[in-house]
Amino acid sequence: MTDLPLAGFVAVSAVLLGIGLFGILTRRNFILLLIAIEVAMNSAILNFVVFGSYWNSISASSVEGQSVAVVLIGLAATEVAVGLAIVLALNRSRGSINVAEATTLRL
Amino acid sequence: MILELLAFLVLAATATLTALAALLVRELVHTILWVALFFVALSGFYFLVSAPFLGVLQLGVYAGAVTILLLFGVMVTRKRIFAREAATGLGPAPIALSLLVLVILATAATTVPSGTTQLSGFPIAALSTALFNVYGGWLLLLGLVMLPALAGSIYLVREDRE
Amino acid sequence: MTALPWTLFAPELFLLGAALLVFLLDSLGIRRLELFGGLATVGISIALLGVLADLRFAPLAGLATVPAGNVDVPWSPLNASLVVVTSFGLIFQAIFLTSALLVALASLSRRSDEKGAAIFFGLLLFATLGMTLAALAADLIYLLLAIEVTGISTYLLVGYTRRDARGLEAAMKFYIIGALSAALSFFGASLLYAYYGTTNLATLGTGFVSMFPSPLGGATGIAFLGYGFLLVGIGFKVTAVPFHAWAVDVYDGAPSDVSAFLAGGSKKVGLFAYFVVFLVPILASQTTFVCPGGPTPTCHYLHSTFGIPLQVLFGLLAVVTMTAGNVLALMQTEMKRMLAYSSISQAGYMLIGLAVATSPAIAGATLQIFAHVFMKTGAFLVVAAVAGFGIGSRIEEWKGVGLRHRWLGASFAAMLLSLAGIPLTVGFVSKFVLFSAAVQAQGWFVWLAVAGLLNSALSVFYYARVLRVMYMERPEVGSAPVPAGAVVGGSDPPALTLGGIGVGRATAIGLATAAVFAFGVYPQPVLAGLQMAADHLVQLL
Repeated sequence: MTDLPLAGFVAVSAVLLGIGLFGILTRRNFILLLIAIEVAMNSAILNFVVFGSYWNSISASSVEGQSVAVVLIGLAATEVAVGLAIVLALNRSRGSINVAEATTLRL
Repeated sequence: MILELLAFLVLAATATLTALAALLVRELVHTILWVALFFVALSGFYFLVSAPFLGVLQLGVYAGAVTILLLFGVMVTRKRIFAREAATGLGPAPIALSLLVLVILATAATTVPSGTTQLSGFPIAALSTALFNVYGGWLLLLGLVMLPALAGSIYLVREDRE
Repeated sequence: MTALPWTLFAPELFLLGAALLVFLLDSLGIRRLELFGGLATVGISIALLGVLADLRFAPLAGLATVPAGNVDVPWSPLNASLVVVTSFGLIFQAIFLTSALLVALASLSRRSDEKGAAIFFGLLLFATLGMTLAALAADLIYLLLAIEVTGISTYLLVGYTRRDARGLEAAMKFYIIGALSAALSFFGASLLYAYYGTTNLATLGTGFVSMFPSPLGGATGIAFLGYGFLLVGIGFKVTAVPFHAWAVDVYDGAPSDVSAFLAGGSKKVGLFAYFVVFLVPILASQTTFVCPGGPTPTCHYLHSTFGIPLQVLFGLLAVVTMTAGNVLALMQTEMKRMLAYSSISQAGYMLIGLAVATSPAIAGATLQIFAHVFMKTGAFLVVAAVAGFGIGSRIEEWKGVGLRHRWLGASFAAMLLSLAGIPLTVGFVSKFVLFSAAVQAQGWFVWLAVAGLLNSALSVFYYARVLRVMYMERPEVGSAPVPAGAVVGGSDPPALTLGGIGVGRATAIGLATAAVFAFGVYPQPVLAGLQMAADHLVQLL
């Protein structure tokens, strides 16, 4: 049982989401994009865990937040694997994974 | 109490700085190192808010498996392993947009009561019971996400035998 | 918690079974496109029949797997179940399955030695499974996860050609946007969870705080932000402007059959999510809730404070989406890109239903979604069929197509007329119902109907341009070159053909065309069903 500032956690997750969005908008390397998306996803998971504990301290049986977090961690790992599969296939067929070089399709 | 607050501050600083560093350093391999640290810092948060199971899961899945996957991706997709990320100018628009989101979220965060709040854990057994009972549907769906992901990913990266 | 019978999932189990069988046969070395396609078609057909039976569709009602007492049960926040059966959800299931059925039928006509048939049909079945499961959602996390089942399957489906860099690039773009959309949606969900302490859709947004006073005090800003993030996150799936840019590239780069599924089927799951997530807070601001079991100190509802702002947001989103979609469609020179922008503008019309949020408007929007399945899936399937004759995606290559390929041309003309909203087609009926519902609702909603009408008039220009090219212009002599290795299924036609295209594809296009006219001339039964479902939905929430 711990006493912590809730607002601090909300602030951290907000900053992490901001960093993630910043990365998604500015980076062009696919691996960095994956990492930026993971940072954003982790900010959501952090919120779920922290508020899961919060709600649990209010009503002793609320495990919902942390259950969501367990599922989301699995989901995010699956997403990374799929992203890497796509990028490996693309790398083999073309030899570069810079999204900016993916110019066959017009923007 | 003071110790916990201190731990929170240290972890918060580590998490944000490592996340930033991961996206800003120029060597892709260093990026992976920073990301691993970022995942570890988050797992520290989970231990701090009395969610040890999540902390262990975060260490195993993220700091372990996902980091290795990313490292693997870097190694396979780059002819020269230590190649640099193509420098992209930081346009004003993305920075402005990210800052905007940050400001909006920060304003919302200020509406949260600023005092400390009691956070408490629960037996891990309760978590697993809930996961397979009330929230069993989520786990089933996670399985349904993983199955096509597995089949499709294997198909995409498999070499043709011709 | 009411125990739902497992037979509730009978249609989904057929889809899952077919998908697993496809993968199993493939790993056993039995690789026949006809076999996989047949399995997929049969599985989807059975599932569709099951859903129609559950809707108490007269000739099939005896086969219903869900007891009538379990459909449209009032949706109590105190009931912690993850799934709920509503007629609204069942209708969406039928819509999803119809789209998947058309695509599966058409794909039967691929070259039978084509690589990746197993993965194509397997992923198609999984994507459909995710959509049908999403249509049962009573819980936000469940809904987002089910959408993710569809998402992961469709990213891989876009890139399934594997050697084709265009398809893989489209898959990569689709993946990045999809993962971003998932992260934003889950972040929104986490804020809603922080505020309400639950992810039950019926509870969210009503201000009902389960047993305990609001944890964050008066910080409703967090909840509103949560809805904002969900609006953006799901907006990517719906291709609402300004979150639409990916769709055109992906529809253009993906194999045409996959584009047909994306535009006709999988983006509708985003619209369904919009409805079930946002109708609660919107309606909560208009209704007075009665506490189940009478008012007690531990149960209190507050009026939702952000119903009206959400309606205004959706109204803006609808107008911007349809206008931008139509204006950009006017400027396209490629058929698939034109159809993609037209699809975006159609999403704008559908969003009117959410902004108005009365039961006739919801019914109208659902009819629009229903119509769009036939029009857009059919149109993309025709593009794929015409590509089989070596005619590419540039509109100028389509000169005289209507004269040379009469049946295909006539079908495509029917789809375009329906998209434009010409009478006697289902596109006209759906727009008529939707816009008149907006006018009925009065107030500023009338302007939504006006915007919709103006946009429909605007859209006639680009559809008519295509029709002119197809029917009035003669192809230059000696033109119509066959580009090398142009299209999947192009060079080596399947064994069974009908007028130069495969029987499966011809059947799918024929069905879609027939539906466009049948429901255009005689829409009453469908309309009555949709109206009933919308009435129920509004009362349930």
